[in-house]
Amino acid sequence: MQQREEKQLEASVESLISRVAHLKNSLQSFIYKLENEYDRLTWPSVLDNFALLSGQLNTVNKLLRNEKTPSYRNQVIIPLLLSPDRDEELAKLTEQRVPVFSHEIVPDHLRTKPDPEVEEQEKQLSSEATRIGPDVAQKQIQALNKLCSSLLEKLNNPRDDRDAETAAMRQNKPSFNPADTNALVAAVGFGKGLSKCRPPGPVAQGHPGQPMMTGGPTLQQVTISGTSGHQAGMGASVTQQPGQPGKIPSSIKTNIKSASASLHPYNRDSEAMRTWQLS
Amino acid sequence: MEAPPVTVMPVTGGTINMMEYLLQGSVLDQSLDSLLHRLRGLCDNMEPESFADHELVYLLKGQQGNPFILRARRSLAHPTAPWHLRYLGQPEVGDKSRHALVRNCVDVAASHSLPDFLNEMGFRMDHEFVAKGHIFRKGALKVVVSKLSRVLVPGNTDNTEPLSLSYLVELSVLAPAGQDTVSEDMRSFAEQLKPLVHLEKIDPKRLM
Amino acid sequence: MGVTCVCQVPVAEGKSVQQTVEQLHKKLEQLGAMKQGSFFVDCETYHATSNASGQPSKLLYVMHNSETPLSCLALFEGGPFLTADANFDVLMVKLKSHFQNAKGHKVESRGARYRYCDFLVKVGTVTMSSSARGISVEVEYCACVVPGDCWNLMKEFMQSFLGSSVPELPAVFSSKPEGLFVPTDCMDTMSQYLELFSKVRKQQVLPGSSVR
Repeated sequence: MQQREEKQLEASVESLISRVAHLKNSLQSFIYKLENEYDRLTWPSVLDNFALLSGQLNTVNKLLRNEKTPSYRNQVIIPLLLSPDRDEELAKLTEQRVPVFSHEIVPDHLRTKPDPEVEEQEKQLSSEATRIGPDVAQKQIQALNKLCSSLLEKLNNPRDDRDAETAAMRQNKPSFNPADTNALVAAVGFGKGLSKCRPPGPVAQGHPGQPMMTGGPTLQQVTISGTSGHQAGMGASVTQQPGQPGKIPSSIKTNIKSASASLHPYNRDSEAMRTWQLS
Repeated sequence: MEAPPVTVMPVTGGTINMMEYLLQGSVLDQSLDSLLHRLRGLCDNMEPESFADHELVYLLKGQQGNPFILRARRSLAHPTAPWHLRYLGQPEVGDKSRHALVRNCVDVAASHSLPDFLNEMGFRMDHEFVAKGHIFRKGALKVVVSKLSRVLVPGNTDNTEPLSLSYLVELSVLAPAGQDTVSEDMRSFAEQLKPLVHLEKIDPKRLM
Repeated sequence: MGVTCVCQVPVAEGKSVQQTVEQLHKKLEQLGAMKQGSFFVDCETYHATSNASGQPSKLLYVMHNSETPLSCLALFEGGPFLTADANFDVLMVKLKSHFQNAKGHKVESRGARYRYCDFLVKVGTVTMSSSARGISVEVEYCACVVPGDCWNLMKEFMQSFLGSSVPELPAVFSSKPEGLFVPTDCMDTMSQYLELFSKVRKQQVLPGSSVR
């Protein structure tokens, strides 16, 4: 009878060792990857590694819970021989982690209670638990339960809320205005809507009273007449190219655009004003 | 025994022929937070970077042809940082197969004497504005969300007025000429910002 | 970056530029100076093609210094000066319709770099259109940035190998409105080189030199 139990124990320990060894190997290879191949590591492969680890942990757990596995809790390990000398066999078995089986380390390795710090924390927690009355504790439990259930509810029906949100965004509230886009692009592109003909700032204070753009067209006007000659009838540049009055109609399209842009509360586009006067 | 010959290359340093690929759009003030939130999720994991810049646009007029335009930027948040001088070439928008506007681009870091120096070169300031906003990066992609403001009193960047009720959104990449594949990446990134923002290839000439 | 003094050293009588340079090297080595690589300073000249105001335009100089290899220094005679990164060269190419590069005017100085304690000495052959035009000597006292504090020391050091051709206090320092006791920067060095280069550019034939 005893012999059978012993055999069973031995077998289960052996299989436990092999499972733990598998687990250790996969952990090792994962850590190696994280440390050495982090630049090439993709998220899916990280997830694969996690899946492998969790599977192996599960098998270990299953093994421990198995009916045939004897309760390890009932087994007692007693250190029979302590020695301050290096034990090569032990070092080999533990992959150089434990080279000596001495009185110094045995209590650490064979301890069945939590670490002293953990014990201390646990003590604190239990003293706290006894300090508060049962009523308060009950209230706290209820509050926590309520919080958890509402959180669970939210997590279980995320779709409704989110869909409602995006639907509201899509239907009622436009998030951008194409006219604003045009106004902003024109402003960074060629200073449209930004002030012109101002005396230079602190930059050129050496020439006070000398307007910057005297005797020349501004950027906006020049780029218009320079890049698209057909719109030369527009704005102030008409004075520079007096020989092309017949081209004015081609600027109608542009006029409409400037006009729609000028509806904007912030847009005080003098250019658009001038165009209206002309046409 | 002769001295080494003088090199004839006029250019000793710098990166020649860099192109800027650009998509532009805007977002209304009230949707800014949603956009920033989405960008934080989409872009590289970094501390959100904010900026406040003052841009001065300078023109140099020749005897004929278009004036030469240079943009000088200085950081209002970091007054001791170097100025940023930028040349942008004529935009190429015609090519339908390319999803972004492409233009030649030269970026130069310069000392604080830049405005004086440009003046001496014959450049004159045409206009100025203040841009405040946020920068995001995803690899080579750069997303700038900024509020543009008029400068009401020339040179006084404390006294400004917002240009519109929207933020300008620009998605750009700097790449050597001919690397058109980047415009594909830009397009797929822009897709992910819809319907919050529509980033498009906008021909500025169309807006004149 | 310390206080620098750039001066032109006359070619020794009956010697070529190269021989005079070698003589200087020998003197420095006898002093105990250690050769530490080489250096170059170059200068391109640009002139504006058009001028709106009708006044004669100033020349724009774009310089490089191996001591600050990533920088590009742009100067007008008498200022203003601009320190920029190497992309400024690319910008000048873009600006070629407005600023023309006077190719024949490119001047540069190349040579050996010596270190003697806190001093850095650069003996260079100044060349223009691939002909040697003169010798430049730059002395930098790295331990100080205030010219007024170390000029006498520098002068004494220069006497030890330049003999009678020790220069006066460079004009860039003496002409500063704030006086001699303000920190120097690399622009002070570059404007001294610029001054030397303009002198060399004007002098057509090298007196007493056998170099073509």
